[in-house]
Amino acid sequence: MARHLGQGAFAYLLVLPAVLLVLGLIGYPFLYAVLISFTNRVVGNAGHFVGLANFRYLANSPDFWAAARNTVTIVVVSDALKLAIGLSLALLVNQRLPGRGIFRAILMLPWAMPAFVVFLIWRVVYAPIGGALNLVLGAAGITTEMIDWLGERPTAMPAVILATVWRGFPFWFVSILAALQTIPAEQYEAARVDGANAWQRFRAVTLPAIRQVVVITVLLSSIWTANAFENVWLLTQGGPSDSTIVFPVLAYFGMQTMQLGQAAAVSVAMLPVLAIMVFATTAVAQQGSDE
Amino acid sequence: MSGTRWTRRNILGATAVGTVEVVAAGRRALAAPAIVKGSPLTYWGGLIFSEKANRTLSGSINAWGAQTGVRTEVVMVNQNDTVQKVSAAIASGTMPDALDVSLDLLIVLARQGVFLPLDDLYVSIGAQNGGWMAPVDKASLINGGRFGIPFGVSGNMLIRRNDVLAKAGFAKPPATWVELVAQAEKAVKPPFFPMGLTLGNCGDGNTQISVLQSYGGRIADDAGKKAAIKSDATRTYLAWVKDAYDKKLFPPGVTTWDGAGDNNAYAAGTVAFVANTGSIGIAARNDDPELYKGTLYSALPAGPLGVVSPIAPQFRVIPKTSRNPDAARALFEHLARPDYTASYYANAIYGPVLQNETKLAVFDGKDPILAGLLDLVQRGTAPAYPDVFNAAYADAYNNFVIPKMIQRVVVDRWDADRAMDEAQGRIQAIYDKYA
Repeated sequence: MARHLGQGAFAYLLVLPAVLLVLGLIGYPFLYAVLISFTNRVVGNAGHFVGLANFRYLANSPDFWAAARNTVTIVVVSDALKLAIGLSLALLVNQRLPGRGIFRAILMLPWAMPAFVVFLIWRVVYAPIGGALNLVLGAAGITTEMIDWLGERPTAMPAVILATVWRGFPFWFVSILAALQTIPAEQYEAARVDGANAWQRFRAVTLPAIRQVVVITVLLSSIWTANAFENVWLLTQGGPSDSTIVFPVLAYFGMQTMQLGQAAAVSVAMLPVLAIMVFATTAVAQQGSDE
Repeated sequence: MSGTRWTRRNILGATAVGTVEVVAAGRRALAAPAIVKGSPLTYWGGLIFSEKANRTLSGSINAWGAQTGVRTEVVMVNQNDTVQKVSAAIASGTMPDALDVSLDLLIVLARQGVFLPLDDLYVSIGAQNGGWMAPVDKASLINGGRFGIPFGVSGNMLIRRNDVLAKAGFAKPPATWVELVAQAEKAVKPPFFPMGLTLGNCGDGNTQISVLQSYGGRIADDAGKKAAIKSDATRTYLAWVKDAYDKKLFPPGVTTWDGAGDNNAYAAGTVAFVANTGSIGIAARNDDPELYKGTLYSALPAGPLGVVSPIAPQFRVIPKTSRNPDAARALFEHLARPDYTASYYANAIYGPVLQNETKLAVFDGKDPILAGLLDLVQRGTAPAYPDVFNAAYADAYNNFVIPKMIQRVVVDRWDADRAMDEAQGRIQAIYDKYA
């Protein structure tokens, strides 16, 4: 018994450094941010407890609701597009194609580039004067208009989403490709022998096999996209008017005004949505593994 | 006549005494200030666009330290990171002995009691240098006291393509915003878009606040408590900006430009006017001498109410936690001396803060950027004028309430009243936070 207890204590001792690291680097800053969100802390002054005042202020701000709407739009639309593109390319590259190694490497480039470089390049692409997109459209004879892609409400959000998808799809591609490569070829052969066509093989063999990976990828990508700052800031600074403002940009405005409590409240306000997303995804993943 | 007989011994003796006196006087002039043993004087200098100016500052501080026997540690801090760094340093108790800050940060932190009052030093430096420039003097008074020593004035000037405009008969800068539009319409046509004035959510976009104020518009009332954006003056201003936008005098993309948008457009030669600091000129001087030659600088034009061209002074401050406040004060005095400021202003993109500095050779008008900055200090206005520069104003400023109001009108095509109503609500909510 004593030996058993000793072994248990030793095991806890072994994981203790990791637990302390997680508590110190994740737990403490997280709880501190939550704490600050209930204060009127500004730079240079710890402030005092103000209850829900920061959240009330946010709830009454038109920017907050625009940011909520835009954040959900960017996450949902760009995840759907990243899934479609990532899955299509992964299925393609999973075939025995000549030069697929090079193709895979090229597809990873957007993910490998620093985010700020990517979005500054997209800014140049979208530039109304001399921007690549307008030049291509002009050369193709589609339009000679100087379209202000980032400066007009109907095009600003799609332009931000397109750049976000371009930067993010390789993660989906490589994750799904890795999952595809774990599917034994015999399963496809067996399905073929049973007379399954391509769509039926995809539904019965491929989808169940990649489901867990897709769920985890949705989770990670959604969190990253919801927390992304560079895509919006470097392209539009949240404009024009409030058409592309998102939570991280709103929090940044709070930091700029030295209102640390208010900036923390913006981040904390995102938590319920992210928490629901995490729990839902974990539940789906769990359900998949139970089956 | 009774006199001393000048023997060789007497002469040598007198020379020796004289030498000792001179050395002692020199030492007295740069007397070693009190400093905590073993701790260096730490200074966070604000990193600016001119590398030469940055080196002049750090070199001068270190040379002063060597002369006075004070060990100095100068760290140049990117001005974009100052708020974050200072915030972390206050929380962790690691503030330097002295540092450079903007007016925004000075106001917030002085009100929190973070800095030592420097009223006597402010008065003494002013008295030694012919007094402070009027808008600088006004801007540096916070809660009735002086918590920072001003050392340079920045701010957005009107930067114009004189080569293009002069050919069209406009040799002088536009005196009013209406005249600016008239010059823009006559002198230049698309695809050359004359009015490179940012309307995006960035610092340069806030220049539109000055235009609005020159039309008589106000962010808040005289007490600095209640939003006052909804007015006939604001309506007139919005009509001016919408008219110019609809005439395509603003370049496409101007509503989402970042801080570099106007710099890039001006450097690319696609605009005739921008409102910016002298950084555009410094870049042109190095990269495009022709553009540099064709560019002139002046204070912002006037609206119906007059010129509103706010200055943005920089300050040296001493935190209350400083271990070497006396040494820091002595350093500030040293850095206000004309021999230092002459070399600093020659390289920095700052206008003078003291009356005597306007007589320095660098402000003789030969350098167009410094001439523009001098014009800005002489004709410019205190920050926020005619509004009250308080924390609520700074909050509204940093949340880009006015650029957003303009975007509602020119992008979303809202009518002026609807846009003003929204801005009024936003501003009042901000001011209520500070009530």
